[in-house]
Amino acid sequence: MDAPRRWWVRLKEWRRPETVESDLTAEVQSHLEFLVEDHIHRGLSPDAARRAALMDLGGVEQARAQLRDARGFRVLDALNTDVRLAIRHLRHAPGFTLAALLTLALGIGANTAIFSLVDAVMLRPLPYADPGRLVALWENVQDPSALPGAAAQTQAAERVAVAPANLPDYARLSALSSVAAYASVGRNLTGAGVPERATGEEVTSNYFTTLGVAPALGRAFSADDNAGGSPVVIISHAMWQRLFGGPPNLLNRTVRLNGVTHDVIGVMPPEFVSLSQAGQTERVSVWLPMVFDEEGLTNRTAHLVQAVARLAPGVSVESARAELSALSEALARQFPEAGRTRAALAPLRADQVSDVRTTLIVLLVAVGLVLLVACVNVAGLLIVRELGRRREMAVRFALGASRARVVFEQVVQSLVLAIAGGAAGLLLGWITTRTLVALAPSSMPYVQAAGLDARVLVFAMVVVGLTALAFGTWPAFHAARVDPVHALKDGARSVGAGWVLRRRSGLLIAEVAVAAVLLTGAILMSRSLMALDRVDLGFNPANVLAASVALPPDRYPDHEARLAFFQTLELRLTQTPGVIATAFGNRLPLRGNWTSGMVVDADPEFRQAGFQAVSTTYFRTFGIPVLRGRALNDTDRLGSPGVALVNEAFSRGLLGGADPIGHVVRRGPAMPAITIVGVVGDVRRTGRTDDTGTRAAEVIPQVYLPAAQTMLYPLPLREIAVRTTGGASGIAEAIRTAVASLDPDQPITTVRTLEESLALRSAQKRFQTSLFVLFALVAFGLALVGVYGVVAYGVSQRSAEIGLRLALGATKFRIVRDIMGRTAHLVAAGIVVGLIAALLSARFLTSLLFEIAPSDPVTYVATATGLLIAGIGAGGLASLRATRVEPNEVLKS
Amino acid sequence: MNERTDVLHGTLALMVLRTLQTMGPQHGYGMARRIEQVSGGRLQLNQGTLYPALVRLEQQGWIRAKWGTSENNRRARFYSLTARGQRQLAAEAANWSRVTSLVGRFLEDPAGDA
Repeated sequence: MDAPRRWWVRLKEWRRPETVESDLTAEVQSHLEFLVEDHIHRGLSPDAARRAALMDLGGVEQARAQLRDARGFRVLDALNTDVRLAIRHLRHAPGFTLAALLTLALGIGANTAIFSLVDAVMLRPLPYADPGRLVALWENVQDPSALPGAAAQTQAAERVAVAPANLPDYARLSALSSVAAYASVGRNLTGAGVPERATGEEVTSNYFTTLGVAPALGRAFSADDNAGGSPVVIISHAMWQRLFGGPPNLLNRTVRLNGVTHDVIGVMPPEFVSLSQAGQTERVSVWLPMVFDEEGLTNRTAHLVQAVARLAPGVSVESARAELSALSEALARQFPEAGRTRAALAPLRADQVSDVRTTLIVLLVAVGLVLLVACVNVAGLLIVRELGRRREMAVRFALGASRARVVFEQVVQSLVLAIAGGAAGLLLGWITTRTLVALAPSSMPYVQAAGLDARVLVFAMVVVGLTALAFGTWPAFHAARVDPVHALKDGARSVGAGWVLRRRSGLLIAEVAVAAVLLTGAILMSRSLMALDRVDLGFNPANVLAASVALPPDRYPDHEARLAFFQTLELRLTQTPGVIATAFGNRLPLRGNWTSGMVVDADPEFRQAGFQAVSTTYFRTFGIPVLRGRALNDTDRLGSPGVALVNEAFSRGLLGGADPIGHVVRRGPAMPAITIVGVVGDVRRTGRTDDTGTRAAEVIPQVYLPAAQTMLYPLPLREIAVRTTGGASGIAEAIRTAVASLDPDQPITTVRTLEESLALRSAQKRFQTSLFVLFALVAFGLALVGVYGVVAYGVSQRSAEIGLRLALGATKFRIVRDIMGRTAHLVAAGIVVGLIAALLSARFLTSLLFEIAPSDPVTYVATATGLLIAGIGAGGLASLRATRVEPNEVLKS
Repeated sequence: MNERTDVLHGTLALMVLRTLQTMGPQHGYGMARRIEQVSGGRLQLNQGTLYPALVRLEQQGWIRAKWGTSENNRRARFYSLTARGQRQLAAEAANWSRVTSLVGRFLEDPAGDA
């Protein structure tokens, strides 16, 4: 019952060993003196009395040892000794130590690096007050192809933004203490050097209070600001530094956005990360009050804003969800035009990382498996090493060492190895983390913050501990099993070899199996990436540079002004050397999408199609073939009849495969008629994959309208593309110069080649695939080293047998063949186990794979063949040692 | 640490505490002699048993040790009972009589296993 107290006292005493030591020496001495005195009293001579006393005492040293054990911490003393012993042992076997340390550092480092990503993206609390209570709120439209007339910019197939008209209803729910809205916007920032496009957010006045973050300087928005008062803005710390040099107070600063002077009323703290920044590269630098127009306040099908809400105290996500869905059903009945809309919510963090969670978890598991293989290899090394120390063990047992003590010593040695390996691993992990952060796709929110924090360090320590346990336990108990009588007998040199081989065979099968699991995953992912790259885009993305030129409405109030701007810009760029073709439009391929409802011919039913306003040079610039009918030309302008081109999917999807030429589309029953005059090839304009990333993107019906007729349809022109003879460098500058010569206040943004846009889209897949392949290769390499080790060891243990066989006339070839045959059996067993495990676990990869089944037979055959050949190769290489056995030497020794 | 030693430790603690209660502060050697004497020579206390037990009692806070001088002017570590030790002795003594009387009943009463 007083155990803790005793431990405390002992721990305290262990800290000052000199006092304790002198005390117990003095006490034993004093006891001895008493004994001597007694013996003298009984009549012995002083010398005889001392001898008798010493005999009674049973030895001064032993007495002190007993006392020391009771008083101090025997375990800690032993630890001290064992740590020193372990370090000495390890230093005497530099080859073994280096191999073990490298293997462990690799395993632990990789785990630390991946965990630090997981930590930054998934575990660290979001930078808001009480972030666990924040939920993302959105609306789902059931069957979005049947959206009523209103145009909707849909990103996900089902999930859409929130209609602001619904927000007051959501805010009334008792489960939510506040509901705020935000929307990404861009503004042209002028008056501060080179004009630039500022990434911004329009937010409701309660946005910052909902997140629980206040401006570092000034104030947040008030209800008056959001009612449309004088123009005000809150800016980021970075912009405050850049534009104004970061003075400590506001002092009536202003910025010009889209030509309008805004008062700066607040500056956000430097660490503030706004919601629309999660998973984006652009940093939000301006916040503007969100002002709703009449449409926004009443139209329940105008899905315009993102929403975030804070759960009321004590309310669970589930009950909030139930309340919201009940309300949503009621609203759907009350407003039939929004009858397909249902609101949904999810914890904010889960919502932000939903796209990358599987990737990270799969990588964490993969890297855990690599560590497992590393542990198996080190365990194998240790077992072999222990075997060399069997005689030493036997002697120690014979001299009375306890088995517990020997096991303890082995465990300490494993711990020392693991800690040293862990320290090296931590360093490696830190470097790797920096590299991974640089390579990580921008879709991983918060990944930039990854690094070695307390959680990562604790994780690394736990990994080190588990690692030591994993690779140290077997060898430790193995050492304890040494039978001194056997081990000390003459000719006992191969005792235990059988045991070791059996156990090491088990280890070998295990590591081949783990390598097989990882290789299967790596091949699946690589094949999936290859399949992805084979998907036909329908246009030629090579050597095309595109840029956005968002013309602000105050300077370019109508379509004519915008058209004139782009026509002049096109003309100037076409004269630039190296330019083959220039095109403009509202949205260019890989740079966004615009879908709308329309009616075809006399059919009153609304259909959904993509709409693009394009220049006549568009199809030539992107390499899209005109298949039938005519292309757009300069006669298609304002005043001439409205015409359009459509893609083949239009004919397939909306006209039952009939020739679309001559059919008429309208964007509404009362809108002008547009006659289809030609058919162009299908284009995967959003990229190769759909939103899930598991299938090729579907081609939706597309209508191409001449840019010169955009006044018929409100599609604001805003993008320009240039096809060059190759090497887009310098072209970006040419676009900038051309735009500046037309309007010095006009910024251009998102200057990217189409290939860069494509790479961004597949960045996450490429990231996860390269890491997985890397881990699989490491595991593969370690497994081969393991195979080599087992076989080489087996050969060295059996050199007597081999020598005998050679002496009896066996050929070296035969012996190598036998060894390789046995190796092949082991490797094959590992492959079978591994493939079964891979087959069972590959379904977790389903959501990461593109158009390839997790049970893809080619992958499994490739894994098995590759591992078998490499395994037998490694075994064969090791078995060549057998051919160097000299029968005379071996049999003599 | 087998069972026999544990039982011995338990009774030894009781004997040490009781000795210190009756004799007052005492050094290890004196205690060993005293216990030997009280037991009528049937209990020969090895120093290897006694001192570790004393250390344990001290760590538990039941006794405290101080260097002092014996009656014949020899330096020795004198042990004395603490207040916690007093309470522990009372509790252990009561427990001991309970256990012995209980065990005694089993040994006396043959009907116990009838």
